[in-house]
Parts: sequence; structure tokens; C-alpha cells
Amino acid sequence: MKIVIEGNHALSYGAKAANVDVVSAYPITPQTQVVEKLSEMCASGELDAKFIKVESEHSAMAAVVGASAAGARAFTATSSQGLLLMHEILHWAVGARLPIVLGNINRAVGPPWSIWTDQNDSLSQRDTGLLQYYCESNQEVFDTVLLAFKVSETVMLPTMIVLDAFFLSHTSEIVEVFGPEEGAKFLPPFKPVDYLTPDNPMAFGNLTSPDSYYELRYKINKDTLRALDVAKEADEEFEKIYGRSYGIIEEYRTEGADTILVTSGTVTSTARAVVDAWRDKGRKLGLLKMRLFRPFPIEDVRRVLGNRKKVVVIDRNIGFSIGGIWAQEVKAALWNMRKQIPIFGFIAGIGGRDITPDVINEILDIADRLEYPEEEVYWIGVKDGQISYSRR
Amino acid sequence: MSDQKKTFRDEKEMPLSAVSATDMRWNKTGSWRNVKPYYDPKTSPCIAGCPAGENIQGYIELAKGERYEEAVRLIWQNNPFPAVCGRVCYHPCMDNCMRKEFDGSVFIPAIERFLGDYAIEQKLKEELPKERFDDKIAIVGGGPAGLSCAYFLAKRGYPVTIFEAKGNLGGVLRYGIPEYRLPKDVLDAEIERIVDLGIDVKTNTFVGKDITMEDLAEYSAYFIGVGLQRSRRLGLENEEANGVMAGLEFLEAMNSGKPVEIGKRVVVVGGGNTAMDVARSALRMGAEVTVLYRRTRAEMPAIEDEVEEAIEEGVTIRFLATPVGIITSNGNLKEIKCQEMQLGEPDESGRRRPIPKEGAYFALKTDSLLVAAGEMPDAECFQSVVSLNYGLIVADEYGRTSHEKVFAGGDIVSGAATVVNAVARGRGAAELIATEIQGGIFNPKTEKKVVAIADVNTAYFLHKRRATMPRSEGTHGNNRFAEVNLGLTCEEVQEELKRCYSCGVCDGCDNCWVFCPDVAIQREEGVYTIDYDFCKGCLICVQECPRGCLSVESEGK
Repeated sequence: MKIVIEGNHALSYGAKAANVDVVSAYPITPQTQVVEKLSEMCASGELDAKFIKVESEHSAMAAVVGASAAGARAFTATSSQGLLLMHEILHWAVGARLPIVLGNINRAVGPPWSIWTDQNDSLSQRDTGLLQYYCESNQEVFDTVLLAFKVSETVMLPTMIVLDAFFLSHTSEIVEVFGPEEGAKFLPPFKPVDYLTPDNPMAFGNLTSPDSYYELRYKINKDTLRALDVAKEADEEFEKIYGRSYGIIEEYRTEGADTILVTSGTVTSTARAVVDAWRDKGRKLGLLKMRLFRPFPIEDVRRVLGNRKKVVVIDRNIGFSIGGIWAQEVKAALWNMRKQIPIFGFIAGIGGRDITPDVINEILDIADRLEYPEEEVYWIGVKDGQISYSRR
Repeated sequence: MSDQKKTFRDEKEMPLSAVSATDMRWNKTGSWRNVKPYYDPKTSPCIAGCPAGENIQGYIELAKGERYEEAVRLIWQNNPFPAVCGRVCYHPCMDNCMRKEFDGSVFIPAIERFLGDYAIEQKLKEELPKERFDDKIAIVGGGPAGLSCAYFLAKRGYPVTIFEAKGNLGGVLRYGIPEYRLPKDVLDAEIERIVDLGIDVKTNTFVGKDITMEDLAEYSAYFIGVGLQRSRRLGLENEEANGVMAGLEFLEAMNSGKPVEIGKRVVVVGGGNTAMDVARSALRMGAEVTVLYRRTRAEMPAIEDEVEEAIEEGVTIRFLATPVGIITSNGNLKEIKCQEMQLGEPDESGRRRPIPKEGAYFALKTDSLLVAAGEMPDAECFQSVVSLNYGLIVADEYGRTSHEKVFAGGDIVSGAATVVNAVARGRGAAELIATEIQGGIFNPKTEKKVVAIADVNTAYFLHKRRATMPRSEGTHGNNRFAEVNLGLTCEEVQEELKRCYSCGVCDGCDNCWVFCPDVAIQREEGVYTIDYDFCKGCLICVQECPRGCLSVESEGK
């Protein structure tokens, strides 16, 4: 069934299609509609799930950890400060190997307060071990909920689905949705091996000596790497059933390109138009859309970027002093290929500032002009003497 | 303690995350505890607040399930007058209700009235006693105390005779309370049900005049519940003038359908329920009514609702005023001279004593002065058998007097009190009398702990507005003497019932079972037990019990 919904509701409908058992969340702008819709679904019986109201995001995450530990399929959603408050429990969910799915709406972190989008909230959770998907459209958001549960429950690790505040969360698009029966064709009921039950009370997560802790961490890494193949297979299976596919990365007009623009989230849609325009002018430009951040698809990135003349990365986030986080990851992925490919790192759109085609053209012009980047990180559009702001 | 320790040779042998090798039940975590929760259902505060000890929470639960007959029979175990008390009681139960500060107490009297009326409509009869005894018992006075005592003795199988001075049973319920508050057909129906237990009734029989105290000697025991029959007088000159009348006398005339002339302007003296009844009755006769009360509204002994309704109907109350002179012309009342008062130091009742404001007088032209300044006992005829104190019979709360065969209760013991107090004392005396006759030892039931507001978790209460009772149209016109408060419909009662939270009473909600992090709570046949092998004393169960059915004690106590 095709309906017109905003990105936040695409998450809610996705959770319904995944037939989740437990939802626990605390409202925060710009995530609120995700939870509103799910609470309505739970209240009306449209979704047969328990909705647990809590007093903070820390508790929301703790509640889904408990639910998941007891063998339930559990979902939560948050944003920005809320995700940061969950941080401790995100580590717990990974270490306890709980296949929770979390929707995060990218919102800039305060202070100063901002409700607009950038990626520092989710990317700063890089080393918690959560798997991370970044989405470009509302359809992709809906479909990714099912894909995320599939991957999570296969490798027993939690997944975060990330979408831009307002550009996706509050923008309506046509989305093909379906209910739990249709969803079950792809996503069978969750059957955990060990789980909390009064009938057989086991202890979980207890004190573990250096004798075993090391191996348990090793296993998380191994399964995170395995998730690359699992995600690809899931994507293929999804396409067979529903006719839609996203891959773990997406190449757009990369054939014969000597410069590749690397993007994530909704900037990708704008970048597609810019790439089309440059191609129309005969320029050899292509686009790599990063969909999976964790596990980082090193082999795929090397395959797409390894033989190009230039790589241009747009980051809507900042690792202070070292540059955008996606750029750092790309550099790390390519380094051991021992090919010195110039990698241009651009910061743009932080705190929700628009990334227009003009901004991307300016980025591409700089990269085009230089053989090698003269600066480790370029901030695009920083006001320089032409400031006009109101004191009202 | 488990001594299984597993050493892994290969990460592939290891589980995904740390998990115990065995079931953890060997680990008796209860030893960590320093406080101990225990399952401890309590008495609801409404029940504790009811002088008659009606099982309010119990009958509300039954009524929720539309088991109205069982509900009303449960009330009858403590009070044979639900239809009466549902209308006239001052409902202390509502003062105790946990919802009082939350969103308003549950409208308990409206529910009680509905159930009482249900019994009348369905013509429900009492179950006759299984046992019969030969010991005859006399009841002196057919008011609420006497009827209650007679009822509970008759239900136990004792032959009971009531001696009533007036023409009909009911006492203050019949002759004191006006029709618009308590319709006679309601009263008649409840009295009829009581008398149908086989009670012998001798009306127009004034003990001490029509029969002597010696005539009562043939009874195994007798109960005196004659109430307060004399009106207090103002002690002013000209109090015998035409137009000056005792409030009770006026009400009795009204209630007996005797003609009574009060004229256009009426002054009522007093601040109790009788004064309100007198004022509102006079209003219905078309008079302009002014009540004089010597203190302020806060000190008025009348039920708050009655004062409210009287003012709404158009009664004027002049506070801090008292009559000091009756001016007559040819033996007829003309004018009342009034003194303005002010509040001084608190007296022995704790209320501030009214003292005259020097030189402040005013006059009221009036056709009638109705004096409702209190009632006094008239018990001298019992002086030969029981001790009196200031005219009241000396008796304990179960009616035991200075004479082993004589028992007493109600206003003649307590002084001016309430209907429900009379009912409670009548029942208490019945229990004592029955026990004494059987030669047993009287051992009144000790009450369970009453749940406190701190015990209940009001986070679980949902806000729900209390039902409002519809009123009749007014104090003028053809229906002016008809009942004012019209009662709730069955649907409205059902909605109101849902507001009751059954405080202190376990309803098997499973919250303790759900919340216990140690799975240490078990449920069997609606009763919860705690497995102290595993209870760590976190007290989450106590906190999350909505109704306060779990208590805490120190460990090792």
C-alpha cells in the first residue's frame, strides 16, 4: 500500500512491519512523531506490542535492553542529546549481544541549542559497536527497519538507523508500506538462544576475568565484520521479495569517473543532481553513497575509490582538528592500498545549514582546481566579513 | 554454591556474552536483605471512617460486577438503613477517601443510596434467622438506635418488642428529617423490612407513662434508645408568645401533616442540622427565612452540604447574631431584638466562644421565631434503674449501663450526634446483649491495620471527575416538598464505582509479581507470597503496589 508519510512515520511503520514486541522511548524533537505513531499503534491494538513509557532516554534504552534480554524484538528511537544520554547502555547492548534496533534522527548537539540536522550525535557513537545505516529517503527508512532487524538478529548486535532531522524526519514522501504479515516473509519471529526467563534463571553479563573478556570482544569484532556479508545477503533477499534494493553502499555514475564525490544521508540526493550536471558538461564525476557506517565496508570502498584520481568527501559533522569523520574513515580505508589518492575533506551543513547545489559546486571547483588538497579540512561557507545578522 | 568452572580452549566454544553455566537458583540472594516486605492487605480508609463499619470497599467491588443484591446484603450486615443513610448521613467515609486530595472523594453515599433503593425496588427481604432463642428483649424507642438494636437481635433469632411513644416507628428519621431530604416511602420501606423479621411493635406506648419500668422486668434485657426529645429554650421573656415555636415541634407538625401557621417572615435560631431542616421547610411554606447563628460558618455543626443547599435555596444566614429579646403585642410575636456577637477564646469544644459586641443591637420584624438551638434529654424516668449524667444515660460504646440487664445507645447516651452513630450503637449493644444472654465473653472484633495515603501509589490513579447528583427544581410550586437530591442512574453509579481504588485491598493486579526483579513473588489462589530465599529487600513491590497491600519490617525482627 502506498501512503504519503514523513520520515519519522516511516520508522514507525517499519517497526510495525517488523512486528516488534516492545517499544520504549522518550520523546525529543525531532524524533517525537516516531514514538507518537507507535504509541497510537500500541494503544489501538494495530500493533501487538508493549509500549513502555520512561522518564529518560537512558531508561528507554535500558528498557529495550531488558526486553531484548528476555527474548523480545525491541525498538526505540531518539535524537541528539537523547542518544548521548543512552551512550552507556549502547555499549551494554553491544556487549550483551542484543539485537535491538534504534532509530536516530540526526540533530546537532548543544550548546548552543539546535534542533537542526548534523551527524555528530550518531557518528560520535562510532566505537560503541552499534551497526549504523544512513538513509536518503523515507522508503529507504521503512525498508531499513526490516533489514536492520534481519542483520541484527543474525549477528546478534544492535543497529542504529540514521536519518536527517527535518530533511527526512518531517518531510512527506510516498512510501510503499506493509504490515507484519507481509514483513514476516522476510523477517521471521526472533528466536534467541539464551534469554532471561524465570523458568530457567541464568546470570547474564556477570564479572568476567581477563581469561575470557578478551575473546568475547574478539567475537564482537568478528561478528561485526560478518555483518558486511549478512547485510549484503539480506539486501538481496529483500529485493527478491519486495523488489527494492539499496546495497551497503551505492555507486552513482561512477563508470569511467576520475573524481568520486562521497556523501551520506540526504545530501546524496542533491549531489546526484550536481553529478548529472557535471556529467552533462562532459566531466568525469561519479558519486559514492555511504549507507553502512558500521561495519565500515572497507573492501567495497577500496573497489570503488581505489583507482580514481581524486576523492571528495562531504561531511556534515566535525572531528575537531582532524576533520570530517567520513573523510577520516575513507582515508583509513585507502591507506594500506599504498596508492596516494588525494582525498579532499569538506565540512558543510553543520547545525542544519543548507547544502545546496551551489555549495557542492563550490566544493567540486576547489577539488578540481588543485592536484592535492592544500588543507586537511575545508570549511565551506564560513562567513568572512560579510556578516549581516540582526540584533533584534 | 556451584563449583563448576569452565575453561575455554577456543573462542568458538564460548557463548556470545557472559552467561552462567547453570541455573542460578543455588545462589540464595535473600541473604543480602536488611528490610523485609510482606503481603499485608489492610482495611480501606473509608471503612475505618464509617462509624457503622460498613464494608464500603467490599460492596463497591460487588456493585462493580453488578452484583447489587449481594452488595446491599453486605451493607445490611452493618447497617439496615442504606437508603436512609445514603440520603442523610454526613458521610465521614468520604473525608477518609484517598481520592479526596486527588480529584475528589468517591461519591460513596450516592452509591449506598442506589443500593438501598435497589433493595426497595426489588422488594428484597431479610433472610430469617436459622436459630431461635426464647430470651425476650425489649427496645425502648423506635428511632435509628432502637431499630438498629432490634434488627440485629432479631436477625440473631431473639424475640424483640419495640415500645414507641409516637404513632409510628422511625424517631428522628420520621419526625425530625423533612420529606424533601428523606421521603417517607423510603423510610417506611426500610422499617418494614426490619419489622418483617418478626419484631413486635407497640406504638403510642410511652415507657414511664403508658407502661412502667417494672413492666419491662419480664424481659431478659432491654435497650434504651429514646433520643433527645426536648428542645432547648432561649430563656427569654415572652418565649410563650404566639409565633414562637420549638424547631422540633415545627418539624414534627410538618412531618405529621398537621396544619401549622408561620406567616411570611420567619426567623430560625441555631446552626445545626435541625436549624437547616427548619429553615428549608419554612422556605417551602413560602416564608422569607433568616437564620441567626451566634458563631461563623466554620463553627456550624450542620453538615456542610445542608448549609450549602439552604443558602442556594435562598435561606439568609446571619452569622455572629443571637436573639436577646422577644417583643410582642397582645401576646403575639412582633419583633426580635438581636445582639451582634464576636468570637473570643476557644471553649471546651475547641470552637471559639461567641461573646457579645458591646452596644451592637439590631431588630428583626418577624411573624415566627423557630428555635432550633439544640435538643435536650428527657430520661428522668430511667433514673431508678440506670445512672444519669447531665440528663444523659451513662453507657459505654457497646451500651453497657450501670444495670446488668439494661443497655442504652444513640443520642440519649452520646448527646446530639448522628443517625449513623445511633445505628452503630444499636448494633454494638445487640452484639453485647446476645453475648451476655448466652453467657459468653464479649470480645469485640479487633480491626485490621488501616491503609495510609503514604502506602498507596496514586501514580496509578487515573483522574476521573466525580458524579454530580441532579437536584429537583426548587422550593416553590407543587413539588416543593419533593425530594431535592434525585439520586444517580445505574450508568452514573457504574461510572462512579470505577473511581474506587480499593485502597488497602489486594485485587490481584500482579504488579508486585511483574516488578520483582528477583522473581521472588509467587501467586497462588489470589494470595501473594514472597520467597525470602531470593527477595533482596529492594521494596520495589511495596512501591509499585497501587493499593498499599505490602508492608515492610526490619530484617531480624
